[in-house]
Amino acid sequence: MIESMTVPDRRLSAAAIAGKPALVLKSSEFRKGREEGWRELETLVGHVERRGVRLLSLYELQRLPILYRAALSSLSVARTIALDRNLLLYLENLALRAFLVVYGPRISPLEGMRTFFRLELPSAVRAARWHIVVATLALLVGVAAGFMLTLQDEAWLSSLIPSGLAGGRGAASTRADLYDKELFAPSPSAVEAFGLFANVLFSHNTLVGIMTFGLGLAAGIPTLMLNVYQGLTLGAFLALHYNRDLTVDFLGWISIHGTTELGALILLAAGGLLIAEKILFPGRYARIDNLALHGRQAAQIAVGAVLMLFVAAILEGGLRQLVASTPLRFGIGFGIGALWIAYFSFCGRRARP
Amino acid sequence: MTLVHERTSQFFEGVRRTRREIITPEGVSIPVELADYGERLSAFLIDWVIWVVATIVIYLPIIFLIGKAGSILIAVSIALFVGFLIRNLYFVYFEIAWRGATPGKRVVGLRVIDRHGGPLLPTSVIARNLTREVEMFLPLGILMAGGRAAEGGVDWEQLTLAIWMLFFAVLPAINRDRMRGGDLIAGTMVIALSKRALSSDLVDGAVHFSFTEQQLRAYGAFELQVLEELLRRPDSAESLRVLNDVCDKICRRINWTAPVPPNQVALFLRDFYTAERAFLEREQLYGKGRADKYAQPNPTK
Repeated sequence: MIESMTVPDRRLSAAAIAGKPALVLKSSEFRKGREEGWRELETLVGHVERRGVRLLSLYELQRLPILYRAALSSLSVARTIALDRNLLLYLENLALRAFLVVYGPRISPLEGMRTFFRLELPSAVRAARWHIVVATLALLVGVAAGFMLTLQDEAWLSSLIPSGLAGGRGAASTRADLYDKELFAPSPSAVEAFGLFANVLFSHNTLVGIMTFGLGLAAGIPTLMLNVYQGLTLGAFLALHYNRDLTVDFLGWISIHGTTELGALILLAAGGLLIAEKILFPGRYARIDNLALHGRQAAQIAVGAVLMLFVAAILEGGLRQLVASTPLRFGIGFGIGALWIAYFSFCGRRARP
Repeated sequence: MTLVHERTSQFFEGVRRTRREIITPEGVSIPVELADYGERLSAFLIDWVIWVVATIVIYLPIIFLIGKAGSILIAVSIALFVGFLIRNLYFVYFEIAWRGATPGKRVVGLRVIDRHGGPLLPTSVIARNLTREVEMFLPLGILMAGGRAAEGGVDWEQLTLAIWMLFFAVLPAINRDRMRGGDLIAGTMVIALSKRALSSDLVDGAVHFSFTEQQLRAYGAFELQVLEELLRRPDSAESLRVLNDVCDKICRRINWTAPVPPNQVALFLRDFYTAERAFLEREQLYGKGRADKYAQPNPTK
């Protein structure tokens, strides 16, 4: 034990000579030297929080990162030398607020959207190409199975297609029924078309698509099952028309929006499979970290798919019955399909760092 | 010493806010406070009101243009569509332009940040908001549009949807960072951001009382910061009474025999604070920091 009777860090000063000993604290001196910079940073951050970065002058813009780093350094020092609670809390708060200003989104919303659609979305889709292949295969397996089953026995129709989706079509439909009321039904009015559009969007297929994506969390098995099921429905419809010698017309009728809609469903399934893969095989990360790391990619794919569903709904609601010619329908359908493929395959490929 | 001043906050505020640390790209850890469920709900409600009003303002002219030609179904469909557009543009625009805050979040004082302390990317903002569609609004739209299927019996589609939405509604409550589905996928989290002011330094140089090292060893950093908090309180009869109590306790503990005149209580405590802080800060620099009065002296000797 030190028996000294003096208070630490006591220095003799004018005040001490006058009978009042003065204490000089490292933390106080530290604060005196830097407080001006903190106040300046606080003012700048306050301006940005209220009015945005754009209104800062060039000089202020140059000062901001310098003052921010100085404040971070002050915080680190204060944590080791100071016990002033008010000071520590203030510096932590100031550092956080400045951090959010300095590392906030640096581009305008419009530019952000553009980067997203020009670079990030297509490259996310490209990165998931194997998942897309698997999802497509599952869908094709479903189509083949649905087609085979229904071809032999049309009783399968009622069990493969939910009544809401069948819309009166079934084993009892005749060729003329399908031809007049479905494939070449009269074009609806603009208002009806819009109603149809939204109805299609918030419909069975969207629901299954969302489930396909979300149930990727369950190791991807429901994803594949739902994908096969979507294929089954399509295959069953195909067989129904095949039996009535309407194959080509049916394919034209469905391709006008089907290339987009099936593309969207495949993308959603691929996103689901991606999530499943990252959870099942986390590599060197914890599962939740790995999900966050790659979840963004899956979410980007899902965003793209939701937009495709929108386009598909517009095509189905607005264009399908308006265009009453099978070759033209094929042309539009596959033309748009090719555009999607070109967009996802080539857009922003060269710009990647 | 992050822990000590958090402990002091808890001592005064009673509750402890849930904190996380982010590491800035410069390598400094900064504590952040997670947003409460209540705060997030009220922020969302404010945004929701703005969004609904905007939707109605845009929706009414459309309906007037269409006139009586439309059926109920079409009216609902258009509402859903307009709602979809406004909602997503609104959230994405503000969270990018206002650095992670929508008007509702700004009123309540919330911010969206990157979970690991990186910059908040526009991609993350788009991802976390469009995921909301998948979590909530598309299923809700299907439920509203599909009301016709009620023919008795259990409708498995609607049941699945309800479970789906319920799961995402409780998701923030069952993970430790209170993340919504969108936060989970976009790697973001929502924090409460307050403003703190810097008060003047309590140490102002001249001291009237001096203390021995033996006396200063009585307390640790926690007691020092509690004393600091008391000294910073505005003058009132109540705070004066508390200061008198504290002064008595300190005098007893450090065996301060000379009486402290009533008009010098604040001065005495201030000087004690100064001396104690000088002592503890020096000890801390030597690696002998003391968290509170119960902490054992460092057994290095």
